[in-house]
Amino acid sequence: MTFQIDSGTDLPEREIDIVKESVSADAYSKVNRDDRKTVGKITHVDARMTCRNVNVYYGDKHAIKDVSLDIGKNEVIAMIGPSGCGKSTFLRCLNRMNDTIDSCRVTGDITMDDIDIYDKKMDVVLLRAQVGMVFQKPNPFPKSIFENVAYGPRIHGLAASKTDIEKIVVTSLKRAGLWDEVKDYLEEPGTGLSGGQQQRLCIARAIAVNPEVVLMDEPCSALDPIATAKIEELIDELREHYTIAIVTHSMQQAARVSQRTAYFHLGDLIEVGDTDMIFTNPRHQLTEDYITGRFG
Amino acid sequence: MNKMTDGHTVKSFNDEMNQLHQHVMQIGELVRDQLSRAVDSLKDEDADAAREVIERDRLVNELDIQVDDEMVHIIAKRQPMAKDLREILTVGKIVTDLERCGDEARKIAILCVHFYDHNTTSPSDVILRDIVKLSDFVDSMLDKAIRAYDELDLELALETIRMDMDLDTEFKSCLRRLSTFIMEDSRVVGHVVETVLGLRALERIGGHAKNIGGYVVFLVKGKDVRHEDLETVAAEIQSAT
Repeated sequence: MTFQIDSGTDLPEREIDIVKESVSADAYSKVNRDDRKTVGKITHVDARMTCRNVNVYYGDKHAIKDVSLDIGKNEVIAMIGPSGCGKSTFLRCLNRMNDTIDSCRVTGDITMDDIDIYDKKMDVVLLRAQVGMVFQKPNPFPKSIFENVAYGPRIHGLAASKTDIEKIVVTSLKRAGLWDEVKDYLEEPGTGLSGGQQQRLCIARAIAVNPEVVLMDEPCSALDPIATAKIEELIDELREHYTIAIVTHSMQQAARVSQRTAYFHLGDLIEVGDTDMIFTNPRHQLTEDYITGRFG
Repeated sequence: MNKMTDGHTVKSFNDEMNQLHQHVMQIGELVRDQLSRAVDSLKDEDADAAREVIERDRLVNELDIQVDDEMVHIIAKRQPMAKDLREILTVGKIVTDLERCGDEARKIAILCVHFYDHNTTSPSDVILRDIVKLSDFVDSMLDKAIRAYDELDLELALETIRMDMDLDTEFKSCLRRLSTFIMEDSRVVGHVVETVLGLRALERIGGHAKNIGGYVVFLVKGKDVRHEDLETVAAEIQSAT
């Protein structure tokens, strides 16, 4: 079968050959590199971040292979795929978290609002404030609830006075859907909250420094269904103010919270498209096999 | 078992999907048998056989409910996606249409009871001829529709949709023919009216078969073609994705 992808204006239009019926998961590793091309529209009309030909190596291991993808403003994009497919590695490229791994090497272009985030002059601390991150396991500082949220704005100089700090803390906790539950316990340690509350505290901490993008790496995998539902509801609300990229192993969660979904396999971006389409009628056999539980 | 229902890592999911598939096939066979028996009862002027058909409609209804129940369990337990989700949605629609086909077969059986279980004059063979003729055509449509689902055969699905147009034409011809009987002899009005109801039941079965053809296109291609014309459906079937 022949698919035509809309590659936007910044990339030449590419014709992609995908034999939907014949490329099984086992066979895929034997497919020539030139034939491993992304199915779907990698561009976004209103891109916040643009990734082009991104490769990531851990020593000799080629973890991300020539991935190109836009992340749109005020969208939730879900990254799915089997363990070891590179989705978390790709996510960590977006705020240079991979810089902390000695053996890791990243090539290609990643820009945010047309600024190269891998430019030598880029202030990585500032970048990580603009592109915040929430991890699998909630990791509040061993400080009070108030201080957990106030710390970021304070070190980034976002508040001129104590009143400003208080305002940011209240707004962030409200946006994170935690205010009503903690407003009377702001001086209690953040580590004393439940797992779900801790995760929302971490989200409040991330948004307190006024980021443009929030990266979430399996944010609900350690939470119970009710805490998960609260985070999912929060993600939907946060979309109004921020761009969110989420890695999840839960297909149902990806289907519920995201507008676009990207499917990774063995370091390749196999397919990207509207979430509604990906979960009802994916175009690539590998995507279909994965989301219907036919390999893994 | 086919590629739509098989291949899951969790084998019990395969079993559940295959069982669902088999039950659809079972309803399909049962409905075709009901249609055949209903028409035979008319041909044989056998009101007892017709009463048996009426009674057996209960089996179709029970299977319909059973399939619905299985679907609910699969949705709740497996949260099916992509082609699994389409299979479940398609099965839900197909069994509804098949159950209605069963109802239409029952109507033909009731017609037989009306004709041959009372001390009234029976209709002439000439009046009933069209029912027999049309039933063969409609049964062929049902057969194709069910096979299209079983074998995921888009050409058969398209053929079923195309045949519905021929059925409509033939149905109108039958009505014209029957109206001439009334013009010739007004005493046959009662028989003709009841025969028209029988023909109408067959025409509806054809309509349901056509619907099943459309569902098969959705199942395989992921595109809803229910309200599209034949050319659009054919173009969709020819398209790459």
